[in-house]
This record gives sequence, C-alpha cells and structure tokens, in this order.
Amino acid sequence: MARFLAFLLVLMAGPVLALPAFAQASPAQSAVVTTENVRSELVSEVATVKAGEPFWVGLRQTIRPKWHTYWKNPGESGLPTEITWKLPDGARADPIVWPAPILFDIGGIINYGFKDESVLLVRITPPADLAGPLTLAAEANWLVCEDVCIPEEGKFELTLPSGTAATLAPPATRTLFEQARRAVPTASPWPARYGVSKAGDPTLLVEARGLKPDAISDIYFFPAEWGPVATMARQTATVTPEGIRIPLKKGDAKAALPAQLAGTLVLTEKTADGTVKQAFDVSATLDPAFVPAATASLANAVGAEQLSLVQALLFALLGGLILNLMPCVFPVLAMKAAAFARLAGHERSEMRRDGLAYTAGVLASFAAMAGVVIAIRSSVGEVNWGFQFQSPVFSLLIAYLFFVVGLNLSGVFEIGSRLAGVGQGLASRGGTTGAFFTGVLAVIVATPCTAPFMAAALGFALSQPAPATLAVLLAMGLGLALPYLALSMTPALQRLMPRPGPWMDRLRQFLAFPMYASAVWMIWVLTQQTGADGVLYALGGMILIGFAIWLLRLGSGATAGTWVRRGIAAAAVLLAFSATLKLDQSPATAASASGGSNAGVSFEGWERFSRARMAEAVAAGKPVFVDFTAAWCITCLVNERVALEVPAVRRAFEQAGVVKLKGDWTNRDAEITGVLKELGRAGVPLYLFWEPGADRPKILPQVLTESLILSELSSIQQAKR
Amino acid sequence: MSKLNVPRRTLLLGSAALAMAPAAAFATSSPDIGKPAPSFSAIDSNGKTWSLADLKGKVVVLETTNHDCPYVRKHYNANNMQDQQREAAAKGVVWLTVASSATGEQGYVTAQQANDLTRSRNAAPAAVLLDPQSKVARAYGATVTPHMYIIDANGILVYKGGIDSIPSSSTADIPKATQYVRVALDQVLAGKPVAEASTRAYGCTLKYPKTSS
Repeated sequence: MARFLAFLLVLMAGPVLALPAFAQASPAQSAVVTTENVRSELVSEVATVKAGEPFWVGLRQTIRPKWHTYWKNPGESGLPTEITWKLPDGARADPIVWPAPILFDIGGIINYGFKDESVLLVRITPPADLAGPLTLAAEANWLVCEDVCIPEEGKFELTLPSGTAATLAPPATRTLFEQARRAVPTASPWPARYGVSKAGDPTLLVEARGLKPDAISDIYFFPAEWGPVATMARQTATVTPEGIRIPLKKGDAKAALPAQLAGTLVLTEKTADGTVKQAFDVSATLDPAFVPAATASLANAVGAEQLSLVQALLFALLGGLILNLMPCVFPVLAMKAAAFARLAGHERSEMRRDGLAYTAGVLASFAAMAGVVIAIRSSVGEVNWGFQFQSPVFSLLIAYLFFVVGLNLSGVFEIGSRLAGVGQGLASRGGTTGAFFTGVLAVIVATPCTAPFMAAALGFALSQPAPATLAVLLAMGLGLALPYLALSMTPALQRLMPRPGPWMDRLRQFLAFPMYASAVWMIWVLTQQTGADGVLYALGGMILIGFAIWLLRLGSGATAGTWVRRGIAAAAVLLAFSATLKLDQSPATAASASGGSNAGVSFEGWERFSRARMAEAVAAGKPVFVDFTAAWCITCLVNERVALEVPAVRRAFEQAGVVKLKGDWTNRDAEITGVLKELGRAGVPLYLFWEPGADRPKILPQVLTESLILSELSSIQQAKR
Repeated sequence: MSKLNVPRRTLLLGSAALAMAPAAAFATSSPDIGKPAPSFSAIDSNGKTWSLADLKGKVVVLETTNHDCPYVRKHYNANNMQDQQREAAAKGVVWLTVASSATGEQGYVTAQQANDLTRSRNAAPAAVLLDPQSKVARAYGATVTPHMYIIDANGILVYKGGIDSIPSSSTADIPKATQYVRVALDQVLAGKPVAEASTRAYGCTLKYPKTSS
C-alpha cells in the first residue's frame, strides 16, 4: 500500500523520475543492523538529494522490551548514543537532535534515556558541488541497559541519488520523521531564569504565568549536561502564579554554576480531551537577584512513604480496624454493642444477618464517600481527608445527630417512634435496616479520626485512579466493620457475651453520655470554624429539636391537635436546620483570618506555620519542628496533650532552640494542603522535624510519645557537642 | 522500573510497627569533597578486615568493580587499572578494589573468585574488599563501576568520579584520555589541592541489592 502511494506520488512529481525511484526497493533506508538488544537502521527523509541542500536523516532504533538507551545527558550512569560520520568532502553532519528523554529509576540511580523506539535526527548538508550519488557512512555506538549494560555498535551506509531537486521518501518514512519531530522538545515559549540559594542549590523558574496548577502535573527538568544539577535528587516542581518553579540540588561539578542552565522541561497538561505530554527546551539565565529562600525542600523527606496498592490496602484495613478504638467512633460502637447484646440468644441466622447488614452499611458509606471523592476530584482536582469537617454545616449537622442519638439512648423517646427521615431514627430501629444505618452512622463519625496508618493509605487513595481510590476506601470500611462482623459470624465468640437483662437499659442510658460529649465536641469544632455565633445557632437548634421531640411524644392519633403539634414540630426542626444557612454567611474562616485570636488550635509557644518561615528557619541552621493539626483531629489533640505540651518536652524544645511552627488545618488552607500533598499525605496529624542544617525533614510517627520527642531532641543536642 | 514496587515482607508479616517506616531505597546524596570520608569496615578476599579508621596517615584509593562490566573490562584489558594500582602501591598509597555487586547480581564474587580474578588479570590492589550488601558503595553514593574515590592521609575525601575523561568502552580511548585518578594522586602526594576533584564517573550502573530491607 505504502509503495503504491509512493508510486502515485512519484507519478505526480514527474514521470522522468518515476521509474528509477520505483525500481529501488528502499532507497531511503540503510541495511538493518541487528545487535543483541537493538534493531537499528539509518533512514533518510529524502529519496534523492540536491547539491548543497540540507536534509534530514534519522538513526532509528527499536530497543528490546524493558531495555533502554541513553539521552545526551545519561544521568548518573550510562552513556549517550554517539554517531561518527564519514562523509565526502564538503558534506556536513550537524549534532544529533535528541527526542525528549524519559526517566529511569534503577534501584534509586536515575538515568535519562529511551525505551521501545527512538529516532535520533541529524541534519546532513551535501557538498555544494555534489555530482552523482551521495554516500553517507556512519558508525554508531550505544549503551543498552536493563540490569546489565551492553555496549553495542553498528556500521551504516546509505547511498542517495542526487538530482536537480530533492524528492521525498515514501509516506511511511515521512510519517516516521513527523513522529520523530513531535518527540523533539520545542523551544520554550516562556523565558526562564534561575537563582542560587545560600546553600548553593539552584532553583529554576520558568515564567509561564497564569497556568492552572490543577491542570499541570508530572513536571520534570532534565538538565542538558552532567554537573550543574544533581540528577539523583527528587524534583518537586510547583506551579505558582509566577510560573513553574523547580527547586534543584546542586550537582557534583566543582565549577561555578553556568550563566545559562540548559535542559528539557517535561510536563503533562490536562486538557478537555485528555492529557497531553509536552517537552520544552529551556535555557535559564542565572539571575543574581533571585535568591531562593532556602533548600527547605520537602523532597526526600525521611520517612515519606511511597506505597504500592497492596500495601495501601493493608494499611487501610489496619487503619479501619483501629478506627473502632477511636473516641469518636466509640459511642456508635457502644450503641451497636448494646443492640448486639439485645440480640444475644436469638437465632444464629438473625445474628449473621445483622452483622452483614452492618457491614453493608459501612461499605456502602465508604463507597459513597469514594464516589464523592472521585467526583469532586474530577471537577475540582483535589480532595483531602477530613475535608467534610472543614465545612461548618457538616459540623453542625453531626452535632445535631449526636444530640438526637443521645436523647434516644437516654430514653427521651423510644425506638420505633415515628421519626422517619431522621437518620438516627433509622439507625436505632431494630432489625436489618437498623443495623445497616448503624454502619452508616459509624462511618460518618469516624472520618475525623485519622488513625495511625490511615494517613498514608488515604494519601495514596486520593492520588490514585478511581478504582484504586475505591478499593482502598472499601478496605478501610471492611476493617471498621470486621470486629462486629466476626462476632456475628462466630458462635464461640457470641457465647462470651453476657446474658440480656435489666443491665442493658442501664448501659444504654449510660451510653447517652459519650454521645452528648461528642455533641459538645462538635459544637466546639464549630466555634473554631465560625466563631462564638456558632454556639448560639447550634444550641438554639438543639433546643428546637428537643422541643419537636417533646411535641411529638405528647400523643398520637389522627386528632386535630396531633396534626397541629406535628406541624409545629416540623417547623421547629426546619428552623433548627435553617441555622446551617446562617452559618455559611458568617465568617467561616474566622480562625485563620483573625490571626488565631479565637482559634481552637492553641498557638501559645508556637509560631504560625508558613513555608517562608520554615524555609527561613531551616536556612538559618536552626532545628525546626512543624506540627500540622486541626481542631477536629482528635489524634492531633491527644498528641499535643501527651507529648508536645508536657513540661519536659517544652523545656527540651527550649534548650535545643527549636523553632516551633504550627499549621492549623481546621479550615481550608491551600498552603498546608500543598505541603501535605507533597509528602503524600491526605490529612493531619503530620509532624516534621528538621535537624539543624538538614536539607530535608524527618517525618515523625502519627502517634507521638514524650520519649520519642525527647530522643529526637537529644540526638541534636549530642551533635552540638 | 518494574522492580521498584517489591512488596515489603515486613508488611506481609503484619508487623505494623515495622511497616510504619519503610526504608529509603537509596541514599541520594554522595559525600562532599573536602569533608571527612564516610567510614567503612569490610572483609577482603583473604579474610582480613579493613576499616578506614585504621588507614589514617595513608592515602587511600577506592575502586568499585564488577568484573563483567564492559567499562571495567576496558581498563583491565588495557592494563590501565593494573598499571595505576602498581604506581600507587609504589608511592605508598593503599588501593582498595571494592566488589560491591549484591549477592546474585552481575559482578558478585566469592573470595575465591576475587583472588582468581586478581591473579588472572595480574592486578595489584592492596586488597579486594567483598561488599555483597553494597554497604561501602552506598556510603560513598557510588552509582557506577568503576567509580573512583581518593581519601587523603587525614581521612578527607579529595576526589570522586571517573577513572578517566573519555566515557567509552573502547580501549583505544585510554591513551587519549586524562587519567583523572593518576593526576589527582600526584597532586595529593605533592600536598597540592586536587584541581579536578569531582568528575563524571562513567560505567555500568552499580548492582545494588534489589530489595531494600
């Protein structure tokens, strides 16, 4: 087909040339050189050349699967492919025009190169006085590696007839050249400059203003040569209003940084029709006025976790299990336990159904949450764990829910009373439906408890494609439901449960108190989000709800009075819920805007976190401790009470001269969200510790102890001596 | 590449505490010129233990090796490595060849194989250190074989990089190349600062252990 098209084309080009061109089997290609790992050929874009008129040839290499060859800067090991030309006098071959490379990470050693297929383009200028055919001879050397490296070589010869005008090669060959040109980086449409930090590390700034951070990903700068930039260091580029900013590490070359830092910038852009990979040649001018704040790079943080899917699933399962013990889930679980005790002695099948229904409720909620996360992410581009709790409306509704469940447990109204539509009504209803909704309730209240192990799994979940997000969240749900599920399935365990009796009512009434406590906590969270007004709306709303319940309990039946009471009750509930409308108008970011005067997160003895402040303190060679916290994060608060704010630790911080920074994530905060994301985390708590002079932070565990902090601090004290 | 996501055994054991802190696969920093060289201690192919601390007062050369690597072969086939080892020994320099390929990887040698190679290649290092867990290589941030280091008599790292200036696998390039290590050693022994203290090392990717544990 290709040849037929070529024939047609040649016919159109001129009948004189047609026959000879057609007769040659493959005029624009050298013989194929097949080495152990690469199939190579020299290809020309023209079928005939014209004296003095430049044209393009390409060294086309098909590389054995999983093996790779190298770019002009091969990275930390490897060698670039080389072509040595033997040309007739007066002919000239320009340097190789390289396609954009890809990155290979071989056990942590970074290489730049090509896999599968590469075409290295070279422009050839024939002699001005060329008469007769032009013979191009080339010797190419390349290194091809998988785990082991093999130097290979090939000799190529290509003879092209000359004529009064150059003619093009067959369409298939021309397509090859078109593709090869698309793989070559284009000149950067933006100016670029770079500055050097006090520590000597360069930061590249490509002044692409107004890019949408959400739409740009996988940014990487391939330095054009070994030396000025360390290729081993992980790069964490950010899209800022000024442009793309890439902090780099200085390389091993002793020479001063060059006036121009050249390289290839690769990025992926999300467009309406999918993602497009782009490559630009960048040459950044050294700007002495641009001194990047410091090397405070979060890249390579010690303890930053990169998980595989299997690991993430295991972490999620573990995290879900641990959720059962968290104070925020406990009341719901206790409620479940009470329900279970009531079931004791019933049919085994009923138990099993109950356990399955509860599990189904939990899983359905997690699936719904995954759906929401995926939907939000595809529209907004970013989601964080606990994001629900950054909404005051959500906090208020949860407070109401806790309150109503508490009233129910106290016996203010009875199970089965007709409060259809209210979630707790369903949850406290007996039987399968009740069990299902208890599961839903458990999930709703579990979300603020980012238990240990969960952060990394959630960070992974939120950054993965939809199926993985769903899988990880479901694994977590399974973990949450597992203890109860196991109990309901195992008669041996059931036998250990106490017999039902009057103690059950007492237990139920007692369990109301953790519920009220949870409601109080939620209201407190609300005040952090909205200020003191939040208390007014929340408590007012609770009175209205209590009033509605009282009205409904006065009597039942179809009398006119009953209907009036129901009407008033409905109005009271509506009024309570209308508080949510009011909340959105109130200063929702009071805590962060007002500088923390009414913040629930205490800043006593701490400085407010900002990247700039952190960078400054790190650059000054001080030890820096960063606490990312939120008022609604119980683990955070517990850590502060038991580890960070105990006198011994306070004293140790002071003696070591630690700069203590606190990031409050109670409300949305883009800067903190960015840091969490960079470290692969989806939520708080997160603790960073920079030893003096360190170029990267250490991530401390999510559960802190006094001794852990003290041992961290003593290690720097020793280093000082 | 594909080998990076090896599920860690610690996790499968369900040991939550261990799983909390997965080890970094590779330290991305190499030691700085002018700073104390990282200490090491390793057993050589004759069972003798060598540690840097014991070599204070002597100039030390480290040469990472993998005898099957084409770039290592280049310098041994042309006798370039052996010649430099002898020159160094004559000047009282301790030349340590470090076989850093992990067990099972290309270039891994037993003590017997190491000695056989020394004999068959007529090599003359002070010792061949066996580094099957790549600990020495890791401490020095070695990325290739051969990767060369010079440590002065005070234990300061004064050179790191390639054996010479022409990165190729062809022995014909050796006479044309600047022999960085030879030049640097002369400067160190003359008490002068090393002019080119950090160069690009070229060779085969160092065969570190596949799993990080």
